[in-house]
Amino acid sequence: MSAPEPRSVLAHAMPRGRHGAGGDHPVSIRERRVAVVQLQARKGREGDVATAIRSGLGLELPPPGRATTTGELAAIWIQPGAWLLLEPWREVDALMRKVDKACHEAAGIAASLVDQTGGKAVLRVSGRHARAALAKGCRVDLNARVFKPGSAAVTPIAHVNVVLAQADDAPSFDLVLPSSFAGSFTEWLLKSAGEFGYVIE
Amino acid sequence: MTQPMRLSSGGRVDRTRRIEFRFDGQSFEGHPGDTLASALLANGVRLMGRSFKYHRPRGALTAGPEEPSALVELRLGARREPNTRATVAELFDGLEAKSQNRFPSLEFDIAAINSRLSRFLPAGFYYKTFMWPAAFWEKVYEPLIRRAAGLGRAAAEPDPDEYESMHAHCDVLVVGSGAAGLAAARAAAASGARVILAEQDFELGGGLLLDPAREAWRTEMVLTLAAMSDVKLLPRMTVVGFYEHNVLGAVERVGDHLAEPPPYKVRQRFWTIRAKQVVLATGATERLIAFPGNDKPGVMLASAAETYVRRFGVAPGSRAAFFVNNDWAYYAAFALKQAGIDVAAIVDVRAETAKAVAAHHLGIPLSLGCEIVDVQGGKSVRGVTVRKRDGSGVSSLECDLLCVSGGHDPAVHLASHTRAPLIWSRELAAFLPGKPVQAERSAGAARGVFGIAAAARDGAEAGAAAAEATGFKSAAGFALPAPDDAHHTSLEPFWEVRGPGMNGGKSFVDLQNDVTSADIRLAHQEGYEHVEHAKRYTTHTMATDQGKTGGIVGVAVLAAARGDSIEKVGLPTYRPYVTPVTWGAVAGREVGKHLVPTRRTPMHQWHLRRGGVFLETGLWLRPLYYTTTGETGWEPILREARAVRRAVGICDVSTLGKIDVQGPDAAVFLDRLYTNTFSTLPVGKARYGLMLREDGMVFDDGTTSRLGEQHYLMTTTTAKAAEVLEHMEYHAQVAWPELDAQFSTVTDQWVQMSVAGPRARDTLLNCVAGLDLSNSAFPFMAIGAGEVDGCPVRVFRVSFSGELAYEIATPAGYGERVWRAIIEAGAAFGILPYGLEALSLLRVEKGHVAGPELNGQTTARDLGMEKMLKKQGDYIGRVLAERPGLTDSRRPRLVGIRAVDPSFEKRLRGGAHLVASRDSIDSLGWVTSVTRSVELENWIGLAMLKRGPDDKGKRLYAAYPLKNETVEVEITSPHHIDPENARVRA
Repeated sequence: MSAPEPRSVLAHAMPRGRHGAGGDHPVSIRERRVAVVQLQARKGREGDVATAIRSGLGLELPPPGRATTTGELAAIWIQPGAWLLLEPWREVDALMRKVDKACHEAAGIAASLVDQTGGKAVLRVSGRHARAALAKGCRVDLNARVFKPGSAAVTPIAHVNVVLAQADDAPSFDLVLPSSFAGSFTEWLLKSAGEFGYVIE
Repeated sequence: MTQPMRLSSGGRVDRTRRIEFRFDGQSFEGHPGDTLASALLANGVRLMGRSFKYHRPRGALTAGPEEPSALVELRLGARREPNTRATVAELFDGLEAKSQNRFPSLEFDIAAINSRLSRFLPAGFYYKTFMWPAAFWEKVYEPLIRRAAGLGRAAAEPDPDEYESMHAHCDVLVVGSGAAGLAAARAAAASGARVILAEQDFELGGGLLLDPAREAWRTEMVLTLAAMSDVKLLPRMTVVGFYEHNVLGAVERVGDHLAEPPPYKVRQRFWTIRAKQVVLATGATERLIAFPGNDKPGVMLASAAETYVRRFGVAPGSRAAFFVNNDWAYYAAFALKQAGIDVAAIVDVRAETAKAVAAHHLGIPLSLGCEIVDVQGGKSVRGVTVRKRDGSGVSSLECDLLCVSGGHDPAVHLASHTRAPLIWSRELAAFLPGKPVQAERSAGAARGVFGIAAAARDGAEAGAAAAEATGFKSAAGFALPAPDDAHHTSLEPFWEVRGPGMNGGKSFVDLQNDVTSADIRLAHQEGYEHVEHAKRYTTHTMATDQGKTGGIVGVAVLAAARGDSIEKVGLPTYRPYVTPVTWGAVAGREVGKHLVPTRRTPMHQWHLRRGGVFLETGLWLRPLYYTTTGETGWEPILREARAVRRAVGICDVSTLGKIDVQGPDAAVFLDRLYTNTFSTLPVGKARYGLMLREDGMVFDDGTTSRLGEQHYLMTTTTAKAAEVLEHMEYHAQVAWPELDAQFSTVTDQWVQMSVAGPRARDTLLNCVAGLDLSNSAFPFMAIGAGEVDGCPVRVFRVSFSGELAYEIATPAGYGERVWRAIIEAGAAFGILPYGLEALSLLRVEKGHVAGPELNGQTTARDLGMEKMLKKQGDYIGRVLAERPGLTDSRRPRLVGIRAVDPSFEKRLRGGAHLVASRDSIDSLGWVTSVTRSVELENWIGLAMLKRGPDDKGKRLYAAYPLKNETVEVEITSPHHIDPENARVRA
């Protein structure tokens, strides 16, 4: 029997609809239901892992400060030799199995895999004022000249460790949050977006 | 309701619209574009406050942020804000302001007698006067001084407004939007650089705002800049500090110009700006001259008078005298004259100059080579006494406005924050910013380049150079303002009017702190010769204005007293903030419960609905106990604990730290991390582990399971989770880089719940699928995987309570579902959720150590865990745990205590001392944890006791002198229940 869909830790923190000040360009905020796997190369095996992921999943693992995607699968660099892999949630362990298979087939045990689907909540924040709303807590320069689609950072925002990746130039940002902090972080985010107005989808 | 001093034309105020406001209860009208000071002056109100020490009447000395005197309380109630400078407070409809530091009224202030007593209140008077008796200081002197000296009253209620922070980055930050600032921003932006232009005023333009002839250029510059992408124009934003690595702090007054910020808007925003290059176009501040009465309402800096006339369309007086030592002040005189204000005389300390000739042609009377020795008038200037500088020719002059100019000081504060040296300019008799230390440069008046055209040119060059330094090639130019002669100017240094024939009146060098030139000389006379000492002795430049108008004048007085040059004496160090910053802006959104983020477990909503009463443990919110029936005191805690001892309970232990460890060297790593061995742990088993710090003290504990040959799952205490991971990362990266092990925190990934009690297995048999839970198949310390309600779970047979217990873990998204399923499965057995209090009760009964015992000062032996220290192999802390001090047999060791009196009347308290007799003050140890026991029906606890377990059976007293309590206790094993550990294996 396959497990039910996991319940969001943000179920109570995200009232759907339009909130905050009026305005033509409200910030759009939605939770992405994704599976998350943390992939850590074993010592000296970064190259093998990259090859395995490339051949098995068709995904180029990104260098520091970058994120890559292929189809619906995304990888974000988080620390030396480590990445978060994200994919829309389908069923329990699906992404774990897929990554594990890719790693094993090509390289034996070249990486340590940890399922973080429950450990992370992922918010997508988009719109003309997304940068300004995030800049109220984010020290990373999100200006379009510097931070572009495919850029990523691991940085504290409002005291929470956030893995941040830009998805497109709407701009849209994916914020990967530790799930226990997600409610508290969302309170901060909604306050910060309030002056522009925001829509929770 | 008329504005008698409003000029019929001129200025930037909108005369077609009226703004009503109140000052000290009286209604007035002003116009959009006014400041509170300009509107008060328009209404003929000059007396705006009383001074700090002598309660002297004061008005506005300036028209800008450097104002020392016109400080008012703005707004009412919870929004009341003291010490607001009327000269920068934008007028808004319904504004309410009150004068400060006066009783009963501004007009009649009792404490003004201080001025008469001033010979008894010189600089440093309280160091001398309030020395004895010492006991009087706290109770009498300090409260008296504080009441007498305070400026304004803060609101007592919580601030209803919100504040926030903002982070910004740019290639070039330009501070100040005068001619130099606008040109710098334009030049930098034209080259393609990202530019932020910060202006403290609500209008961009600085000195350009005073000259209608420059308006076209100003407008074109502002509009062009506003239209450029990647240029941010930020008026109402004061850059208040320049820190390391080109980080600057700034406060944007988002809603200060409104009665209340609009919905969803903050009142103020604190900006942290990371700029690759900074152009400081902060302009210059006019300085005063020290002479008797230079603080009276109606004495004003010449540039301020010019600003009131030309920017605000207000006549600051009807008959003005000028007292000057430089050419620039003549432009102010000409402006007043042009506006139809009678200029009675220009008193210039210098002999004939070209400017004097020009003034003469305009029909302005001149007193050259003269000085002002006295000012007549109390709450307003009535006239001045003029004499030749040699003391001859004393004459009187009637006037109601005295405009003073002692020259200009470039606003070098921000440059100075960077520790850039300040260089003395003989020509300007002022300090200029020296060679930059950080990536900054000054432009325009901020570095002594005066005059609109010259400053604009200087700014354009600085902006282009700054952009080029960040890698942008300068682009096509833009039109600069037409040249003028304002940069051809001269000045004769002149600081203080002195000499025989003076009336002994006070010559102020610091109006806000009431410091006079005599105070400076007194400081010097008493040995405070260094400028930093004299500053502290006299409080000169220590007020909120930091002595912007008279700082250097005091330095000049000190220099004269020392017989040194000003250059040698130097300025006292400038420090952030340049102008006062509210606590609200500093705190931002981090107030109240938002001071730190809150962590919640996935069952949080369930706990809430079930009547959970929460406790903050670190960042986590954990249920302390559950109650819906209005139970009080210990009732819910005992009820929950009894359920665990007699049936079954369930507790949310998700907050325990969980660390996933993988890799070929995971086992070796854990062997070194823990004092006991994990490489021998079979796959599918858990083991209790103890960790020491490098210094040999106990660091943390927890159970760690082996999920696979190269895969472990550690648990840590809630409090130490982050520290333990950091400790591991440190050793992996620094101490043992050769080991191949990967760590990741999975605290948030797994929800964990403890199911404990004699019916725990029965409960799980009702809900766990796919796992044989029989005692033989799944003994104590076994681990396995299964499913609950279709959700994957890990089951660990571990116990903190001392009962038969299991911890069930499931991915966070299934937490509440699994929790509910278990409660349903245990319903038949009377399962109850239990909180932290019951958890603590149970572990004290069982004698398990926790935070109060693992306090960083205890060793494994102290805690009775010496058997956990392996004999073979190294581990962190092994060597230092062998220090004599840590192996000393006299160290207190862990014991149990039990109140001898079986009633619950006499409670035990954590922190109590153990003593041998009721009246002994010789502490033998202390009580670490206490609880009411459900099993023993008594108060019990854990304690650290010298001789420790050797004293088992002995009777001692737990003394708690703070509450005058002494309770007789018996020393027992820490394991109050089931010392044989039979229950956990049942």
